[in-house]
This record gives sequence, structure tokens and C-alpha cells, in this order.
Amino acid sequence: MICDDDEEPQTEDNSSSNLPDTEKEVTAAKLFMQQCSSFTGDNLYDHLSEVLNKILSERPEDVVDFFEEYSRKVKEKRFKTKIDHLEDMFIPPEQYNRAYKIMPLFKKPDNLPESEEEILADMTRNDMLQLSYFFEQSGLGLPKNEMFALLLSMRKLIKTEPVASIRFWGKILGLYKNYFVLEADLKEEECVRRNEVYYVCNEIGDEWVQLPDVTPRQLRVARQIRKSFTGWLAQEILTYPNFPGNEGNYLRAQIARISAGTQISPLGFYTFKPGGGGGEEEEEEEEEAEGEEGEGPRMKTNCFENRRYEPPPTGDLLDNSMSFWVHHILHILPQGRTSWWNPNPKVDTGEEAEGEEEEDEEKQAAAGPEPEIGPPLLTPLSEDASLDAVPAWSVRISSNILPEYALVVVRSNLWPGAYCFTTQGKIFHNLYIGFGHKHVAQNFTPLPLPFVEQDYLIGPEIMEMTDPTGAEEEQWRIDHLPKLPPAEEGEEEGELEEEEEEY
Amino acid sequence: MNLNSLANSLDTLGHYGLVISTDEAMILTNSLLLLQTESHSCNIFFWGKIYGAGNDYYIAFGYVKDAIKGKIYYYSTDCMDWGLLPKPTEAAKSLLPLCTTKFEGNPRTIIDVLIDQEDSSLGMKFDKPTVRKLKEEDRLSATVHSISNEATIVPRGALFLRTDGVIVENKSFEGLSPLDSQELASYLHYSPPQRKWNTNLLTRADYNYALDFLDTIDMDLPEGCWTVQIRGAGSISIVSSLYWPGLALYHIIGTPNYGCVYFGDGKKSLDLPFMLNPL
Repeated sequence: MICDDDEEPQTEDNSSSNLPDTEKEVTAAKLFMQQCSSFTGDNLYDHLSEVLNKILSERPEDVVDFFEEYSRKVKEKRFKTKIDHLEDMFIPPEQYNRAYKIMPLFKKPDNLPESEEEILADMTRNDMLQLSYFFEQSGLGLPKNEMFALLLSMRKLIKTEPVASIRFWGKILGLYKNYFVLEADLKEEECVRRNEVYYVCNEIGDEWVQLPDVTPRQLRVARQIRKSFTGWLAQEILTYPNFPGNEGNYLRAQIARISAGTQISPLGFYTFKPGGGGGEEEEEEEEEAEGEEGEGPRMKTNCFENRRYEPPPTGDLLDNSMSFWVHHILHILPQGRTSWWNPNPKVDTGEEAEGEEEEDEEKQAAAGPEPEIGPPLLTPLSEDASLDAVPAWSVRISSNILPEYALVVVRSNLWPGAYCFTTQGKIFHNLYIGFGHKHVAQNFTPLPLPFVEQDYLIGPEIMEMTDPTGAEEEQWRIDHLPKLPPAEEGEEEGELEEEEEEY
Repeated sequence: MNLNSLANSLDTLGHYGLVISTDEAMILTNSLLLLQTESHSCNIFFWGKIYGAGNDYYIAFGYVKDAIKGKIYYYSTDCMDWGLLPKPTEAAKSLLPLCTTKFEGNPRTIIDVLIDQEDSSLGMKFDKPTVRKLKEEDRLSATVHSISNEATIVPRGALFLRTDGVIVENKSFEGLSPLDSQELASYLHYSPPQRKWNTNLLTRADYNYALDFLDTIDMDLPEGCWTVQIRGAGSISIVSSLYWPGLALYHIIGTPNYGCVYFGDGKKSLDLPFMLNPL
């Protein structure tokens, strides 16, 4: 090693300079690590100490495998600006909108009904928290807070709408938003032609919107199409065959189909005899009887709760034959109505017997004169046709371990998402949570387009045919020669006819 | 779906309408823990339920080392006794689209699959309508695997590709941000990637191969076959497949909690192109 003689103070260290000076090396290394990056201005030293600090304070497991991830996260945090230039602008939390909507529901009802008669609607079957528990045991349901909010919003609805009873029908899942659906019976004075009305909303806390009534034509078309719900009631339905209406109408039609197919009750819960009927019910009966006159076989269209109902034993309800469960909503005929309506009536009654549907304008061309007959009300499920070897219903017990407290859950296979549960036959509830489409075993095939129509009827006038030969024309002329003696006239006529032929 | 989250499915999957009842959750958690120990799995998950006419199948899967390549499926009809789900046979895979019946609920059932004369999906020609036999267990296996390959998903960042090529659960996953959770590109297929390795990296600004090694669902066709809904006042995102109705992923935004389950009858909705609205 060559040393400079001038550097006197270091001569002493010459012997030790062979050994690395720890302090100096550390300083050099530190200096190197503290070099700022020319792009970001960061340096490795600070970064490493920050990362190590984060790791030591959080003490994550197996950190060596995710070290890069930690390092990157620390770097990412550095990009955030420390100074908030929008300090004065308050951005409400995301939950604000919902909180704002839902708060009015928590307020105590201020104007209570004055008399007992004014009691609003039958809410006895709407203890949503209890139902929520049952739903959960059956393997479906909504979050508890939604159920509770739903109950509050139902209570609000019955104050403004003339409903006699109300029930949570279910939820239809859409692409962008979902629909909560309530089923309500209107009060007698409002109930002129309709049995049930349905209210929907996208989010609990929104206004409930009453769905328009369904027409038989909409029902018929709804059977031929398959379209996802978007969540907007005004959405146009683009299908073939053309659906008469928007998504609100389609939703109503699907609800009617699902209800007709899947609203079931334990055997004996409903009966045809009014269970202690008041005057109105009898009147209703009479009215129906009048309406149904001259419509062939009399069909019962109404059923009442059986006061002397005794729940069937759980074992029977669990029976796979499903003969202890009955439909309590009428089947929808291919015509799109629950009761047969003669499209070409001899006597114009002008009214339908069953009041579910409104008057429809279109002419019933497809329906034949033979009345369509569906299964009568309160038919056991065992009579249900199975579709393409798919049994219509599956029944389960909610718990095999505790059968004495378990629920019986009936699941529809034709309408995936439709359930009915019962607590040993006592409480039962029908619920639908799904996309609102029927099961199709073979895949859906849209209706083929009709054949191209003809402008005119095919007949001999427009058919192309071979021109007659000269010999034939001559023969024709001779055959058609007048038998009368005046020869000149005959010839003239013949000529005329010949001309026509040529033309 | 993680075993720990089975118990409170009402507040997570409830937004989609599916719930695992208390009864089921208890039995599943415990029986799956036993299964995990017996099979020496690193982690075990509840996969979902396939409805049968007479009985339902419960499906679970676990892995020993690699979270994707090492998935092993188990099934049970009573939640208690678990059996190994066989690997899907080629025959079962090709016959699967032709099965129109519902699952029976008994894995030993043999079903008849009718092949139409004109059907060319099997790559063979038939002179007359042919009937092929298919065991329900094989059909179940083919169904589960095709759902897993096509539709099970995870939020981006939940899985981590280690430098040695092993895929593990990311322990530093902190959840998606509220904005990211609304994007389909933040959800990845939970199956071996099919696209080129750099497809994701080229489409993202904040790419990171350790996280973006799987296929995103935003490129699946037809556009609109996945839906994302933010529910619970912005606290949870629900991603659901329309090809496999009944498949849903929940992710509590900003937390590492997520879970993907399938509850359905194992039928692919091929009608989807008719059901979507033109864009």
C-alpha cells in the first residue's frame, strides 16, 4: 500500500486501516440508502424503516411471503396527499342516504286511529322478526335489519292505502336492483273487481309503488318469453312476441303466475264454507253465483279460513306424495284467466265472473269455444303435473336432529325460489326469493317467427300455367261455337274470346 | 365460504336470499373441521348445495398446499359424513349439457341420457336416438367442476401467487375499496387462468402479477352475465352469476371477509342471451 507522506494524522491508523471501520461502513451504507430517488424523492432507508415499523406494529403471520405486498402498501400510502384542499366540502358517508330514508319509519305513529273500527289492516301475520327466524331455519331470508325495516315500512303503507290485509310476498332479484313485493287485499269498498294488489319497491324506505293490474294477454305472452328483471319499473321489455307493457306489467304477470303456481297451504287450513261469515261475504258469494251463471260447470273461486282447522301431523306434511298440501289460489288457464271466459258469448254479459283481471281489449282469436278447465281450488299438490320428469315439489325438514321443533319446508321445483314453510302446521308462510323465472327442463326456445304472409289468396286467377297450344285454342273455339244458326255473331264472339285468352 | 362465516350467513348471503340455517351451520362447521383434520387440508371451505328432488348434496372443498391447483372436493348428503367427489370423467362432462332431469339425491342412481339423432355436441354421429347411462355421482362431479371452473370467484387480492409458484390465501388482504368493489374487474375467477398471463397486467394501471394472475370476470361473454350489487347501504357487495343462477359472492367492503357459494339445482341457464337487454 502506498501512503502519502503528507497525510500525517493517518499514519497511525495505517495498521488498522486494513480492517473495515464499522462506523464508517455503516455511515457509507446509510448514506447510500438515503440517496433520494430521482423520480419519487423517496429513499430506501426511510422506506425500509417504515415497512419494518408497520410489520413490527402489526405482527402479521408468515410475513416473509407477503413482504413485497407490505412494501407496496407502504409506498401506496405515501401517494396520498396530506393536504385536503376540499376541506370545507363535507362528503356524507355512503350510508347517509339510507339513514335519511329510514329514519322517518322509526318515528312513533302520531295520529292513531280514532276508533277500533278504523283499525287499519290485518297485520297479525306480519311479525317479521318471528318470520325472519323461521325463514332462517328454512334456509332463505333477508338480513334481520331489512326484515325489521320492512315491517316498519308496511306499517306506514297501510296508513295511506286502503288495504284490508297485507303480507310480505317475497323478493325478485333483478340485474341492477331488486324488488321487494308486498301482497295486499283491498278493503271491500275498494275491491270492485280485483282480489289482490301488489306493492313493490327497490329499497326499503322507498315509496311503495302499486303495480298495475295484469291483463290475460300479458299473462299469455309472459308464458312465452323469458326476460331478466332490471329493477326499473319503466324498463321496456324487448321480446318476441311483443309484450304489451313495460317491466312493471311483466313483473305483475310473473307475480300472478308464481302466486297461482306456488301459493300453498296445509290441508284443511282453508275451506269453501265461510268460517262464520259476515254479511259482506255472503253478498260476495251471491254476486259470484250470478256472474258464473251460464258458464258451464260451477267452479268455486273463493275459500275462507277454517276456524276449526287442526294442523295435520308433521309426518303427513313431510310426506313426499304432497297430498297434505293444497293450492289456495286458482290455476291460470291457458287463456290467461283464472276462470273461463267465452270469447264469443251468445249473451253479452259484459262482465267477467272472476274479478282478478281487467277488461281486455284484444280479440280472443286463439281460444276455442271449448271451455278450458283448470284444477279446482284446494287441489292437493299431489295432483300437480310434473314437468319433464321433474317432480313439482320437494319437501324437507329443517332439522333432522330436533324434529320436534323443526319446520317443514316445501320447495317448488317448477318455480325455483318459491318456498312455503310451516311450524308443525300452525303458522305457515309462502315466500318467493328468486329471479322470477320458471324452470325449463329443455332450454328456452323463443317462438318461431310466423310464415311470411301472402298478399292475396292463392287461386287459379294468379297461378302461373302453361299457355294453351294453338291446337287447343282452336279446339276451344270450336267447342264454344254457338249452336244458333247466325254464323257471323258466333265468329265475332269467338274472336273476342280468343283475344281475351291471348291477353 | 370460510367456516367461520357460516354462522352469520343471514347478514351476508341474506342479501341474495340464501341462508345457511343455524342447524346446518353448526353441523357443517364441526363436521368439516373433522374432515379437514382427516384429510390434512391446510384450509377447508363450504362450497354450496345442489338441490335434488329427494335429497340435497352438500359440497365442500379443501386444499393441502396450493389454493387452486390443489383443490379437492368432498360431498355429503346429510352434512355429516363426507365422501371424496371423484374427478369428472370425460363422458360425464360431455353428457352434462344433455341431462334435463333434476338430481335425485342418491349418488348411486343411474340416469338415462337421451341423445338425439341430430345432436352433434358429442362429436359423434348417431344413426338413431341413443340412450347413454350416467351415474349421478359422476354427473354431480361434472356439475361441480364446471361451476367451479366457470363461476366461482374471489375478490382481487384475496389470493396471492408466491414467488415459488404456489397460490396461497393472501394474509395481507384488506378488502376492496368502495369504488373497486363496484367494478367487475375487481373479481377474479377462482380457477386456473385461461387467458394469456399478461392479459390482466395490460389492462390495469395498478397491476401486480402476484395478485393479477387470474382471469377477471369483466371479460366474460356475453357482456352482462355477471351482476354486482352494492347492498346494505354500501357495506357489502353481492356478485352473482346469471349463467349459474344461485351462485353468489359476498364481500364485506373494506374487510377481508368474503365467501362464494352456490345454492341451486345444478343447471346452467343457457337462456341468458335471450334474457339480457341489448346494451
